[in-house]
Amino acid sequence: MSLRKRKEQSEYFFDYSLLFIVLFLLGFGLVMIYSASFYEAIQDFNDEAYYLKKQLTASIIGIVLMIVVANIPYHFWERFATLGYVVSMAIIPLVLTPLGVESHGARRWINIPVVGLNLQPAEVAKLCMILFLASMVCKMGKNVRTMKGFLFMLALPLPVALEVYLITSNLSSAIIIMGISVLMVFVASPDYKKFVLMAAAVLALAAVVVYMVMSGSDLFAFRGSRIKAWLDPESDPTHTTFQTLQGLYAIGSGGIWGKGLGQSMQKLSFLPEAQNDMIFSIICEELGLFGAIAIILMFIMLLWRMMVIANNAPDLFGAMLVVGVMGHIAIQAVLNIAVVTNTIPNTGISLPFISYGGSSVMFLLIEVGLVLSVAKRIQLKEL
Amino acid sequence: MLTDNNKFFHRKKIFSIFLIFGGIFVFLFGRLVYLCVWQSEHYSQMADELHERERSIKAARGRILDRNGEVLADSRTVCTISVIHNQIEDPQRVIRVLCEELGLSEDYVRARVEKRSSMERIKSNVDKEIGDRIREYDMAGVKVDEDYKRRYPYDELASKVLGFTGSDNQGIIGLEVVYEEYLKGKAGTILTVTDAAGIEVESAGERRIEPVNGNDLVLSLDVNVQAYATQLACQAMETKQADGVSILVMNPKTGEMLAMVDVPEFNLNDPYALPAGTAQNLTEKETQDMLNSIWRNGCINDTYEPGSTFKIITAAAGLEEGVVTPASSFSCPGYIMVDDRRIRCHKVGGHGAEDFVHATMNSCNPVFITVGLRLGVDNYYRYFEKFGLKQKTGIDLPGEAGTIMHRKEDMGNVELATVAFGQSFQITPVQLLTTAASIVNGGRRVTPHFGVKTLDADGNTLETFEYPVTTGIVSEETSATMREILELVVSEGSGKNGGIEGFRIGGKTATSQTLPRGSGKYIASFIGFAPADDPQVMALAIVHNPQGVYYGGQVAAPIVRQLFENILPYLGIMEYNQVDEQN
Repeated sequence: MSLRKRKEQSEYFFDYSLLFIVLFLLGFGLVMIYSASFYEAIQDFNDEAYYLKKQLTASIIGIVLMIVVANIPYHFWERFATLGYVVSMAIIPLVLTPLGVESHGARRWINIPVVGLNLQPAEVAKLCMILFLASMVCKMGKNVRTMKGFLFMLALPLPVALEVYLITSNLSSAIIIMGISVLMVFVASPDYKKFVLMAAAVLALAAVVVYMVMSGSDLFAFRGSRIKAWLDPESDPTHTTFQTLQGLYAIGSGGIWGKGLGQSMQKLSFLPEAQNDMIFSIICEELGLFGAIAIILMFIMLLWRMMVIANNAPDLFGAMLVVGVMGHIAIQAVLNIAVVTNTIPNTGISLPFISYGGSSVMFLLIEVGLVLSVAKRIQLKEL
Repeated sequence: MLTDNNKFFHRKKIFSIFLIFGGIFVFLFGRLVYLCVWQSEHYSQMADELHERERSIKAARGRILDRNGEVLADSRTVCTISVIHNQIEDPQRVIRVLCEELGLSEDYVRARVEKRSSMERIKSNVDKEIGDRIREYDMAGVKVDEDYKRRYPYDELASKVLGFTGSDNQGIIGLEVVYEEYLKGKAGTILTVTDAAGIEVESAGERRIEPVNGNDLVLSLDVNVQAYATQLACQAMETKQADGVSILVMNPKTGEMLAMVDVPEFNLNDPYALPAGTAQNLTEKETQDMLNSIWRNGCINDTYEPGSTFKIITAAAGLEEGVVTPASSFSCPGYIMVDDRRIRCHKVGGHGAEDFVHATMNSCNPVFITVGLRLGVDNYYRYFEKFGLKQKTGIDLPGEAGTIMHRKEDMGNVELATVAFGQSFQITPVQLLTTAASIVNGGRRVTPHFGVKTLDADGNTLETFEYPVTTGIVSEETSATMREILELVVSEGSGKNGGIEGFRIGGKTATSQTLPRGSGKYIASFIGFAPADDPQVMALAIVHNPQGVYYGGQVAAPIVRQLFENILPYLGIMEYNQVDEQN
C-alpha cells in the first residue's frame, strides 16, 4: 500500500511551472496594484495600501481555494455541471435585488451578506459555463460533430451571455462567455470550416458597425461614442476619449525602458482607477516596453503550459476543462491589452491575475486549481 | 478517456488555439513597440504638457546709462501675487487678506479667487515688503513671485527720450521701446509637476530654465547737459509764459545726441499721473488722449514751420549751385514782388543795399527769395531732397514725424519764395538740426541717435551701434563759407545774443508766426554751433508761443548762449577757443 502510494506520487505529474507562472503574475499584480493605486488610495481612504490589502485578502482566499480544488479529483465537479448552469442563471438577476451593489455607474456586483465580499456573478457564470460545457461535450460524444450538435452547443451559453449583457449591461463579460464557449466547441469538433466562417462573419459585422457609426447613425449611441473615440482618440480628449488617451499617454511616455517602478505620473489621478482595467498602461509607463514584453511572455507561457496539460489530459472532460480555462485567460488578456493599446474600442475588461478585482482573481485561481487538478491526473508515462 | 484517434484532432485544435492567441499577442506586441518607440515622443510631450504647470521667472531688464555711466533707468525687485484655484483651502481668508494688503476691491479679488483656472494673477508690481508680508501669511494657493519694476532715478529728466515700461516690463514709449530687444532679456520658467488636481508633486522637483537678464544700454546723452538744458528750458518757459520749450543738443560730426528736452516733461516713475486740476470725470479715451499728449516728444513727433533758421539751407543751396556768392550784392526795398504777390521783409523800411553775407546777418527775406527764385523750383526741390529733408532722420526714437512739403508739381514761384525763407512747409526740430549739421560739418549727413552700445552684466561691450552717414551733401567749400557767414550772424548780426565772449559761435535765429497767420502766436528759435570753424556741438532751442517779446534773437538765442557758456567748458571745448583767441 505504502509502496503503491509512493509510486503514484512519483508517477503523477504536478505542474510546478504553471503554479510558478500564476504566482508570479499574482505577485507582480499586487506590486503593480500598490504602485498604481497608492496615490489615490491616500486621497480617498487615507491608507496607501487600501487596494493592496483588499486584493491581497482576495488572493490569499483564492490561493487556498486553488489548493483545495487542485487536490480534489476534477470528476468530482462533473455532477454539479447542470446545477452550476442553473445557479449562474439564477444569481445574475440578484444584482437587481437589494443585494446588488452599484459601482462606477454599473450594477454588476452582489454582496455576500456574511462574508461581506462583493461578488461579480459574471465571474461565477464564466466558471460554471466552462464546467457545464465540458460535461456537455462528454455527454454528447460524437453528436457534437453534427450541425445540430454544433448549434445546440452554441445555444447553451447564449441565455447566460444575454443575461450578463442585458441585466448587468456588461458586454465584455458576455463576449468572454461566448468566446470561451466557441473555443470549447471548436476543440470538441474536428471541423474548421464552420469556425473560419464564423470568425469572418464576426469581423464583417464589426466592420459594418464601425461603418455605421462613422456615417453618423445613432443606432449605437453609447457604444458608438466609444468607437469614435477608438478611431481618433485625440479628437475630444475631455469626454469619451479621456481614458483611452490617458492610457496612451502613459504607454507612450514610458518608452522603451519605462520611468521606473513607482514613477508613473499618469496614476496621479490623470488616469482614473489606474489599478483596474488600465493597469497595463501603468506597467508600460513604469517598466517600459520591457515590462510589457515580460508580462506578455508570461501569458504566452501560461497558455503553453495549459496547452500541454490539455493535450495530455487523461480524458476529454479534463481536456475540455483546461481548454475552457485557457480560453478564458487568453481572451481576457488579449482583449485587455488590445483595449489599452487602443487596438480595439474601449470596453471594460480586466487583465487576468494583475488587475484589481477580488472576485475576478478568486475565480481565476479556482480555475487554475481545476487545471492543476487535471494536471495531477496525468500519468508521467503518458508524457 | 481520450482515444488516440480523438486525441489527434483535439491536440491539433488546442495547438491552433495556442497559435492563434500567440499570434495575437505578437501583433499586440508590435502595436506596443509602435506606441513605446515611434509614438513615444509624441505622447510623452503631450503627457508632460498635461503634468507640468509653468511659472515664469522674469528676466531683469537691462539698465540705461548715460555717456558717463550714470544710471538713467534700472530695475528693482517687486512681487506679483497670483492664486491657484485648486490649491486654495480657505477662500474667505485669502480674499480678506489680499483685499487688505493690496488695497483692492473685494469683488475684484473674489472674481479671481473663484475663477476656475490653473493660475490667476491678482496684482503685479507690488512692493517687495508687501509681497514678503503676504508670503508670511502662508496661505495655501497664494503664490508670491518676484518680479522687477523699472525705476528712473532722475524722475523727469529726459522723460520723453527714455520712455517708460508697462506692467509687463515692456517698453511703452521712447528708447525703452526702440531698444526693447536688447533691454528685455529672456524670461525663464519654473516647470512644476502636478497631479490631476493641480497639486504639486514634491518628489518630482522643479525644472528651471534660468532667465537671461537684459543688456545695459549706453546712451550718448549726457546727464549734466540734459539737466542744464532742462533747467534753461523750464526757466524760459516760466519767464516767457511759453506753451513749451524744446532744446536739442547734438554732436554735428557724429550725430550723437547729448540732450533732448521738451518741457513740460513728466515723471517717469509715475507716468500715468494727470496734471493737478484735471477734471475727475474723464472717459477712458479722454484720459488716454491726455496722457498721449503729455508723453509726446515735440522734438521728433511734431512738425513746425522753421522760419528763418531754414535760410541756412537756402543759402547753402544757392552757394553750392553758384547762383550767389558771399560778395553778391542785393538791394532790399522792404518787400519783393513774386509774380503778382508782394512779400514783405520783416524790416518794413527795407535793408537797402547789402551783400549776401549781410543779408544773412540781417535775415533779409527778399534776398533769400531772390536766391530761391534764381535756383528755380527744379533746382530748389533737388537740393531739398539732396539734403535729406524729404526723408526722416532715422533717429532711434519711435514716432518720428515726416516732412510736410509742397508737391513739386504744385510748387509755383510764390510757394518757392515762401519755402526759401522757411515758411509754408513743416519739418521736425530734429530734422532741422540734422540738416543744418550736415551743412556746417563739411557736407556729411549724420543720423541723430542716442544708443551707442550695449553692455553685458560685467560691463563688457556686446554691440556698438553704427549709423548711416551720407557724404557729399554740400562741398567742403560751401560748408566752410556757411560756417563763416553763420559766425558773422552771431558776432555781428541778428544772432548776437547767442554770442559768448571768447568763443567762436555760429548760428541763426528765427521767428515764425504759427498757423493760422494773425493769431499773434509765434515760435522763437535759435540754432547755434561751436566752435564756429570746427563745430563739435550744435544746439537748437525752440520756444513755443512766448508772451511779450517774441523774437528768436531775444528769446531763443540767450538760451543757447547760456547753455554753451556752461557746457562748452564742461565738454572741454573751451581750451581750443582760448588758443584761438590769442591768435
